[in-house]
Amino acid sequence: MIETFQERYENRHEYAKQWKEKTGGKVLGYFCTYVPEEICYAAGVLPVRILGSHEPQDVTEPHIFAMYCPFCRDCLAQGLQGRYDYLDGIMIAQSCLHIRQAFTSWDLHVPTDWSYFLPMPHNVQSPRAVPYLVEELKVFKKALEVWTGNTITDDDLKRGIELVNRDRQLMKQVYELRKREEPPLSGLESMYMVVSSQLSDKEDHARLVEEALKELEDRTLGRPIGQRLIILGSEDDDHEFINMVESCGSTFVIDDHCTGTRYFWDEVSLNGGDPLTAIATRYVNRVPCPTKDWPLRTRLPHILGLAKDWDATGAVILQQKFCDPHELDIPAIKSALEEQGLTTLFLELDVTVPIGQFKTRVEAFLEILDEDDLF
Amino acid sequence: MAKYKTAPLKSWQRAKEIRTEYYQNYAVAHEKGGLRWAGGAWTFDAIPAGLGDDVYPITSEPYGATIAFQKDFSDRCLEATERAGYARDLCAYMRNYWGSIILNEYGWVDPGEERKPFPKPDFVWQDHICCSHAKWYQVVSDLEGGIPMYCIDVSVGPYEHTTEHGLEYLVGQMHDGIEWLEKTTGRKYDDEKLIEAVNNTCRSTSAWAKVCALNQAIPAPLEEKTMYSLYVLGTLQKSSKDVADFYEELLAEVQDRVDNQIAAVENEQVRVMTDTQPPWGFLRVFRYMASKYGCVSVGSLYTFALIGNWIWDDEGNFVPRPTPQSQGLVIKDRDQALRVLAEWELSKPEWQHFYHPKYKSDMMIQIAKDWKLDGVMLHYNRGCEGLSLGIAENRLAILDSGFPVMVFEGNMGDEREFDEARTTARIDSFMESLDVPKLN
Amino acid sequence: MITTGIDVGAKNVKVVIQEDGKILGKGSVLAGLDMGAAIAEAFDAALKDAGLTRDKIEKIYATGAGRNEVKDADDSYTEVGADAAGAAHLFPDARTVIDVGAEEGRAIRIDDRGKVVDFAINERCAAGAGAFTEAMARALEVPLEELGPLSLTSTKAVAMNAQCAVFGESEVVSLIHQKTEKQDIARAVHDAMATRITSMARRVGVEPPVALIGGVAYNPGFVDSLKRDLEVEVMIPDGPEFISALGAALLAAGMAK
Repeated sequence: MIETFQERYENRHEYAKQWKEKTGGKVLGYFCTYVPEEICYAAGVLPVRILGSHEPQDVTEPHIFAMYCPFCRDCLAQGLQGRYDYLDGIMIAQSCLHIRQAFTSWDLHVPTDWSYFLPMPHNVQSPRAVPYLVEELKVFKKALEVWTGNTITDDDLKRGIELVNRDRQLMKQVYELRKREEPPLSGLESMYMVVSSQLSDKEDHARLVEEALKELEDRTLGRPIGQRLIILGSEDDDHEFINMVESCGSTFVIDDHCTGTRYFWDEVSLNGGDPLTAIATRYVNRVPCPTKDWPLRTRLPHILGLAKDWDATGAVILQQKFCDPHELDIPAIKSALEEQGLTTLFLELDVTVPIGQFKTRVEAFLEILDEDDLF
Repeated sequence: MAKYKTAPLKSWQRAKEIRTEYYQNYAVAHEKGGLRWAGGAWTFDAIPAGLGDDVYPITSEPYGATIAFQKDFSDRCLEATERAGYARDLCAYMRNYWGSIILNEYGWVDPGEERKPFPKPDFVWQDHICCSHAKWYQVVSDLEGGIPMYCIDVSVGPYEHTTEHGLEYLVGQMHDGIEWLEKTTGRKYDDEKLIEAVNNTCRSTSAWAKVCALNQAIPAPLEEKTMYSLYVLGTLQKSSKDVADFYEELLAEVQDRVDNQIAAVENEQVRVMTDTQPPWGFLRVFRYMASKYGCVSVGSLYTFALIGNWIWDDEGNFVPRPTPQSQGLVIKDRDQALRVLAEWELSKPEWQHFYHPKYKSDMMIQIAKDWKLDGVMLHYNRGCEGLSLGIAENRLAILDSGFPVMVFEGNMGDEREFDEARTTARIDSFMESLDVPKLN
Repeated sequence: MITTGIDVGAKNVKVVIQEDGKILGKGSVLAGLDMGAAIAEAFDAALKDAGLTRDKIEKIYATGAGRNEVKDADDSYTEVGADAAGAAHLFPDARTVIDVGAEEGRAIRIDDRGKVVDFAINERCAAGAGAFTEAMARALEVPLEELGPLSLTSTKAVAMNAQCAVFGESEVVSLIHQKTEKQDIARAVHDAMATRITSMARRVGVEPPVALIGGVAYNPGFVDSLKRDLEVEVMIPDGPEFISALGAALLAAGMAK
């Protein structure tokens, strides 16, 4: 059952193509989790996140200077290599500069019918952000209507909100189970569940999660849990890496990254209000990407809270090579975690990683944690 | 016998004075009960001006560049920052700046004097468009034990699509910022000073653009290395009367040079432009180009438009933007001042590529045409993700439009990442490909 | 006109003596610490090979990273210009020239007159150059000249990071520990190099026919990986490491561009 999520992740293109065939609807590829999927669903469009394939490539160098993160180049490579030919449109919500280039180069060089740049505000700690975003969402909604030929009513928006919220609520329930002394699923399996949500129709995905929850009730991993770890980072769908760490005598019980909780943690609170305002509020107030986490670092208390509530003893801090926003936060996060008594391991990711070398460091890290346990 | 006559710039002395006073004033601000603050070069410095005449800023990027010029000091700053756990691929200006705080040594040193301790700002007043902007100062605050900080997000989309709600967002943050300034400093805000500062901002940024436009002349009256020392004043404090006055005087002098065919490079035979910040520790590369090949860099979109404001006019020409004041506008109150400031700054050409490289490519191609260039030299600058954003696509677009392009890698603020020998070799290759005869 | 081209490279000094476009003699000497001595030695070797005395040489042009060390040079050209001149002379149809040497990789687009239209250089990452294969051969404990033929016996492609030589080397170590077959690792090494070179070449656009020059062209494993990556055939001249020197000599004779 849990394997379905992995299959979904591995067969993302087939899934989207089949959806297109079945529904005759449009598929919109998006580049950042700040994209308001609720509105896409309201328009009858399937939003799917564009991800890389973790393979070395040689097609992006003319387009993106090598100083930018491997993830954005990996994403662009997929487009240039024709793997996303079935997309009807692409979209990005303004967040970091690196991924923005994947979007703009794609816009320039990969034939696409429709592309949209949503100026998601960065000053989310200002009271001016929500009113601004509401206006931008109105513009976006209009553009979607023109593109799809569908009118988006408030009821459509409410439906979209409920759809996406439902999936979020279910994922939160799954994550609650990971608080157990014996979490019923591994970090890798959870990652597959979250990522597959980014690649699937939410209704379909929610159904799968509901079924999975039943199975998870009595499930155990069938191995010692080992050290309980939190994984932090930017975009980390490196399954090979996550699997390796968990095979060394540990389990990821919680995370903060955008193929993890940052994606689904916060719901839209409708409360009988205007749907676009509710959506704007959610995206402004959600757990932030570091590019939007200023002047206060609100991510810090959030992460410390997660580590505490899920009883993590160690933190693996992953970062995409060259990722400036995260690099700016990592020293502060590291100290705060260590002050709270967690041991941290910091690693840099590329599209492929030297698994052997990383394994040595992970083993050393786990040894430290094991020794801590003895005291 | 040189091809053209040359002459040193008379405005030089004044430019140096303004810059020296600026860094000194910041350092001694407290001595007479004044305030000092820090922010980025793009910050709305006109706004804190409303707190009084004794309020002195320091802007981060020029400060980082000032450090970068002093290679030994820069190396120490960079190492100190790395030891503190900050990654090497972060913006080099930031790393220089933080290093100077960690070492507690002020980057500005008066000739013959000892380095003073780094003067801590009373508050931070920043803008945010590139990912690092606001976060830079989070780290500054961490390193200094906490400093009150206010940042204005300006990323509302390209100027040609400016919306009322986008302006509202900026102006709203500005209004909130003024309240914050009053609360933080305990001072009463003076709207008259704000209005004057906004008028100065428009004046200085439009005068600088006009200076750059004069470089369309053959021979070019200015070359880029000199222009760096001139545009920097606008990055220090574009809202200052001294800076605005200076640019207007400079404009007159440069016009005079054009009228008298006074060249920056006496044997000018090939014209290029660059892009992104130069490798600050290695500006002699410009001298190399001039002396070996008679190659003048007439500037760059960066030099023209980091603070200069330009616009596409109705006939599709790329021209210095006329100020609203020059068209009869008189600012009457705070809200209007903020609105004019926001709208004026949103047209800044160096903000456009944040939304799509095509905006910048179009401007660069126009500059290549109007400034009559033979080629373009792009600095793939590892030190600044904001200005290197999309540069590979700019390159493709410029090549497509028919101009030869050369690329060199480097770092504006970290001299360890610049290979002078290899860069001059590339320049040689580029000049060979353009069939430029060597001068001696 | 009998002219000489002296290519002072990172590792070797190469000299070519030519007349009317024909190579009369060649010499190659390890650069070492005494550059001046190496240059003189290489020049002498070329003269001996050509059966000529020094006074017969009418002009000397220098190229290569150390071109300013050639005291007797009448002029110098960068490797980009010299590569283009040499390759265009041997392959007048070539439109793209790829030069992979010890420390640099270059891609040059030339027009139908052999003139440089655009160029790209890989200098930051040793992954694109001969030094990388040397390091990898050491890591695999295989003599350098056997690395290429070994990789050709591989039937399995193994992904290897192509961005950075340091990462690449640690990946080889990982692969060895994972008991990956030597020939597959060898192939992965060449694939990684080829990916870097292709990446760079794409910056200038790969327009066939493509000429491949530089010492690394002797490595059949690399050539195979490169052809697969570029998806075109590559033309390799005899003595590929001498093409830069040849180009300089041709430029000296006014025979290029």
